[in-house]
Amino acid sequence: MRDKKPSFPKPLPSTHLLGTGTPMCAGCGGLQVLHEIYDLLGPKTVFVNAAGCLTLLAVYPFTPFRGGWLYTAMAAAPAGAQGVRDALDILVRQGRLPPEENLEVVALTGDGAAYGMGLSATSSAIERGLDFLYLCYDNEGYGNTGQQYSEATPHAARTATSGGPRGFMGYKKDLFAIWAAHRPAYAATVAGAEMLDLARKAEKAKSLRGPRLILALAPCPTGWDFDPQDTVEIGRLAVKTGIWPLKEYVDGRVVHTKIPRPRLPVEEYLKRQGRFAHLFEPVRQEELLKEIQAQVDAYWARVES
Amino acid sequence: MYRLRFHGRGGQGIKTAGRILGTAFFRAGFEVQDAPRYGAERRGAPIFAYVRAARRPIGERGIIRRPDLVAVADDTLVTIPAAGVLAGVAPHTVLLLSSSTPAEVWRERLQLPGLLLTLPLGEVWEAAAVRFLGATLAGAAARLVGVIPREALVEAIAEELAHLGPSLTTENQVRALAAFDLLAEHAGCVSEGPEPSAAAYEPPRWVELAPEGADLAAPAIHLPATSEAVPTGLWRVVRPLVDRSRCRRCAWICSTLCPDGTISVDGDGFPVIDYQHCKGCLVCAASCPARAIRVVPERQAARVG
Amino acid sequence: MQVTAPGRALLTGNAAAAWAARLARVDYVPAFPITPQTEIIETLSAWIDAGELDCRLVTMESEHAMVAAAGAAAVTGVRVFTATSSQGLLYALEMLYAVAGWRAPLVLVNVSRGLAAPITLEPDHNDVLAARDTGFLQIHCATCQEVLDSVLMAFRLAEDPRVRLPVIVNQDGFYLSFTREPVELPDPEAAAGFVGPFDPGTLRFRASAPLSQGVAVLGGGPYSYFRYEMHLAAQAALSVYDEIAAEFAATFGRRPPPVEAYRLEDADYAFYMTGSFATRAKEAVDCLRQAGWRIGLVRPRLLRPLPEARLRELLAGKKAVAVIDQNLSLGKGGVLYAELASALYGHRGAPLLVSFIGGLGGRDLPPEEFFAMAGVLKAAAHEGAAPPPRLLFTAEELEEVHRLRAIAGAERARLKESP
Ligand SMILES: Cc1ncc(C[n+]2csc(CCOP(=O)(O)OP(=O)(O)O)c2C)c(N)n1
Ligand code: SF4
Ligand code: SF4
Ligand code: SF4
Repeated sequence: MRDKKPSFPKPLPSTHLLGTGTPMCAGCGGLQVLHEIYDLLGPKTVFVNAAGCLTLLAVYPFTPFRGGWLYTAMAAAPAGAQGVRDALDILVRQGRLPPEENLEVVALTGDGAAYGMGLSATSSAIERGLDFLYLCYDNEGYGNTGQQYSEATPHAARTATSGGPRGFMGYKKDLFAIWAAHRPAYAATVAGAEMLDLARKAEKAKSLRGPRLILALAPCPTGWDFDPQDTVEIGRLAVKTGIWPLKEYVDGRVVHTKIPRPRLPVEEYLKRQGRFAHLFEPVRQEELLKEIQAQVDAYWARVES
Repeated sequence: MYRLRFHGRGGQGIKTAGRILGTAFFRAGFEVQDAPRYGAERRGAPIFAYVRAARRPIGERGIIRRPDLVAVADDTLVTIPAAGVLAGVAPHTVLLLSSSTPAEVWRERLQLPGLLLTLPLGEVWEAAAVRFLGATLAGAAARLVGVIPREALVEAIAEELAHLGPSLTTENQVRALAAFDLLAEHAGCVSEGPEPSAAAYEPPRWVELAPEGADLAAPAIHLPATSEAVPTGLWRVVRPLVDRSRCRRCAWICSTLCPDGTISVDGDGFPVIDYQHCKGCLVCAASCPARAIRVVPERQAARVG
Repeated sequence: MQVTAPGRALLTGNAAAAWAARLARVDYVPAFPITPQTEIIETLSAWIDAGELDCRLVTMESEHAMVAAAGAAAVTGVRVFTATSSQGLLYALEMLYAVAGWRAPLVLVNVSRGLAAPITLEPDHNDVLAARDTGFLQIHCATCQEVLDSVLMAFRLAEDPRVRLPVIVNQDGFYLSFTREPVELPDPEAAAGFVGPFDPGTLRFRASAPLSQGVAVLGGGPYSYFRYEMHLAAQAALSVYDEIAAEFAATFGRRPPPVEAYRLEDADYAFYMTGSFATRAKEAVDCLRQAGWRIGLVRPRLLRPLPEARLRELLAGKKAVAVIDQNLSLGKGGVLYAELASALYGHRGAPLLVSFIGGLGGRDLPPEEFFAMAGVLKAAAHEGAAPPPRLLFTAEELEEVHRLRAIAGAERARLKESP
């Protein structure tokens, strides 16, 4: 599916829902995605958070939220979401909560929790058919503790615990496919920089019930080492080079929502970030660059065949 | 014991300044303790580091309440109470400001009992100057305490900045020595403050806590978007300015992409930036298709505005 | 961290911990990041990447997994080091009990940090005290030097056949973890000689030697036996510690005691506390002595096993002791206070104990509070009775909380709810 003529999917809010004054880094891609999605979900939302950068959004007595927020623990956001959802349902069923007081429950975590420590809780929540939206801002590392590698770190990226000449030797886990294998109500990848695609998916997710994932690439100036003003450009390049495919899973099918044509060389994305600088200097690591490109090519060859 | 504090913003080399001075003291034969206040520093946010030095082992710990010297990398922080620059400043405290505003003007403005000096280092947001700010400030502080020989300073910089390579280390040494020499006439103006006395002290005003009920005494926030009371605009060193003559009033690109949600849209469809909260990441300027957002140094903007 | 050579250097507590692991020539480090510990594993990781340390470091998916891997590797036959803090230590709690029960000899550095909720980054001791009953021995440090020394000693203690229990070495977040102070970095050969090679004894997996470890028991009899043997091994660690400390002193010239006693001989009064703020207590002792007080400090470094006899000996005949707990057992009070009281109860010459709760969540303990606590001790001795426990918390702090609470709208919400 392709985006039609750009038009904002709902009347433009003249102010935004998420409050300003938060302690996130200037140019934070995770904050960008959250604020875009919050505008679409509306204030009747309760976020259930796991430990990560965005935990520091709400530090007593300051919160940017206009609806609900509950910090749980690093592994426990989906389980916390279960408790909130179940309790709201009980209250509504017993007539103790008027339906207009009901809330959408959103688990909000980074990749470390989503791909790793919290994955067992997530899998079980999906399996139970929990009616919740999982919003993962994927900054490809444990950002809050200083960007050590996580299970979402891409191959060859330098992190605080993968500082060798070849960077991180592992490969990024495919969380979208793991979700899809659970047959959830919905799953989508998004990027803050692709806001129309994101808006459509957020509206779609909002219209469905059951377990839903929005997996957002969250360029992180601090952890990925780039100038904060490039947050949007890096997100766009991730999509244009095909390293971050925009897609959704709905009704048992995976559909790509934006097929990059022509697809830029992945180098265009890599060379803008300090975490990949060792691929270019002091000597060009041709073999690693080829490997990364070949993986992206293989992915799109599968998609387009 | 000497008790010294460095203030600045994340990214201005404050931790480095503390470490260089600590190492210089150590090389000059002192017992030393140094620490940055926070491990994770958000670029632009106020931070500080401290150094203790004495001829005997140091048992005092934690933040320095009564500094002998306060050295400030960024003069815009001085008048911001939240930055805590002037906290605990006593009659014997020397205040050293990196500022192009003359010392007389600051003396007039602040009306402090102690000595106030300025160090004109150029504009701190200039990348070139920022890279050397930590070492420069350490060099200045070393001269003001007056007990650190040149060689100890030079060696300390070599030790602390070895990871930058020889040419940058040398450049840092040159800048630090320039500051060291510039302040020759004030050598030794910093004196060791009074030690606590168990014979004459102000007793703590301990209070009894009463049980108040979980509705008051749980860490919960009952109002929406209270974070807006936090002026994150103070982090900004550059300011985005909307040029209305170029703006096409597309009315959503910059407003949606600003990670902090600090851009709203007025009745005419023009974007309005909330400078109380804008962190100066420049995502908006980089993303505006009409290039309608100009960037000016904050100081200049503040002078104009 | 440019320090590479032995000698006296400025190191943070985290750097000291990493150095100790390096000097002990650890084979294996399962890891997971958490502030304020993360620098320890980052430092080790950087050394491994640079080829300076022959060791395998694996970032696990959680601390539960991390401690499971650590214990499993130790009972397979390699020397293991790991580190965590706060929420991480708690998340691992199940495995702490498990690996201690396996009698896995490993060393874990905990960088103390207060526990959620509310979540905080700053230090107090509730995290490490939650691991008090796990079977891990505990050494609590007051300086960066002690962190380094204690980790080296901890390997000896853990691996000693008479003990064979894992050890936690505790340091305070921020006040040690991020603070540089002078540390004597031992000669690598001397350190390696002191720690010695890892000897797994009979507990290790080999193709030639059948072995089922960590097995279940049915019935309270065998269960009591195995658990009580752990307790006895922990207690045996007291005398083993003394031996190791003597050897440490012979090698390095420093002798970290099981209990530090500072200016105590002629003292009528004493402070009793653990951790890095104890150095502040020493400074306060010096100030108070200048003002004519006869006061000292007692600081247990070993908390498990607790050197009870030594504590009784040191405190017998004192008039009153201020027990300063940087922890809070909710609904009971300070943990050190309860433990010290039970150690002294019924023994001749036991002093009055006055309980203070302070330094929660990194709250400062300024000199004036030590002076004021001394005043409370004197009054208690005069009355012959201890006053109720006191939270070190001032009117200014309460005003600040009220200000924050108003921003949070708590009172307003209460008014709205009340009919
Ligand atoms: C049980 C537990 N272990 C470790 C931590 C420390 N911790 C806090 S945030 C964080 C990183 C989370 O990474 P991620 O989910 O990717 O979110 P990000 O920090 O990148 O926003 C960690 C490891 C914790 N809070 N709890
Ligand atoms: S570290 Fe990255 S994800 Fe975390 S707040 Fe900063 S920019 Fe955002
Ligand atoms: S993006 Fe540019 S053109 Fe569009 S509203 Fe903002 S300033 Fe105007
Ligand atoms: S610089 Fe622009 S994008 Fe960044 S915070 Fe300010 S208004 Fe928002």
